[in-house]
Amino acid sequence: MIMRESIVMKIHYGTALGAVFLVAIHIMMRMTMDFHDSLQYENVIANYEMIGYAILLELILILISVHGFNGLRVILLEMRQGQAYEKGVTYGCIAAMVVLVAYGSRTIIMTNMGMV
Amino acid sequence: MEKENKAKEGIKGWINPAKYGKFGIERFAWILMRITGLGLLAYFIGHIYETSSILDGPAAWESVLELTQTTEGHIFLSLVIGMCVFHTGNGIRLMLVQMGYGIGKPARPDYPYKPQSLNMKGKACIYATIGIAALAMWYGITVMFG
Repeated sequence: MIMRESIVMKIHYGTALGAVFLVAIHIMMRMTMDFHDSLQYENVIANYEMIGYAILLELILILISVHGFNGLRVILLEMRQGQAYEKGVTYGCIAAMVVLVAYGSRTIIMTNMGMV
Repeated sequence: MEKENKAKEGIKGWINPAKYGKFGIERFAWILMRITGLGLLAYFIGHIYETSSILDGPAAWESVLELTQTTEGHIFLSLVIGMCVFHTGNGIRLMLVQMGYGIGKPARPDYPYKPQSLNMKGKACIYATIGIAALAMWYGITVMFG
């Protein structure tokens, strides 16, 4: 499947704006109490067990992974070009993105469901 | 042939300090955008790995958390805040530029061929973004050390 680069860049900008908004909420959650207290095990578990917050974390995970690995792909393609190289970089970045989303989702889902 | 080789500098072209004097603050913003992007991606991967320790119970969580609860850890996190703010601010500037805002009107290319897009508005935005990133780092330090 070939996606036009203009569409990819729209996704890049869309994920960036979405991530900025959601990360701002994520950081503000740390400000609802003392910074060090907010990182205590019980408080973090309580955060994960809120379904709304778990969805927020999942969205942040997906948006930043898509944005980050597409950014890495763009940097690597700026440095060198070639059909095989470009294909390798694109599929490599997609694979890394999928692995990271899967690994992060595992933490979010297991903690949200109380499997800790 | 020589021109072709110059265009293939790759990462050497990134770190060549002579380029900054030649191309100005826009070049600096370009390289900083890439460095902060790579830094934030590395931090994000580390953050996902770090938070997964919550699955191993309170002891594992506390031991990982201790890494960031040191002076070095706080300085590292304040650097992450600075990178995040610069990357966001400069990214928004680039989005606006790509939509055609702040790049000036097309004009006849006369000597010394100054591009309309590299104007004072753009430079001011870059300096402001660097300033805001520095302020955010300072605020982060006061919260973490407070």
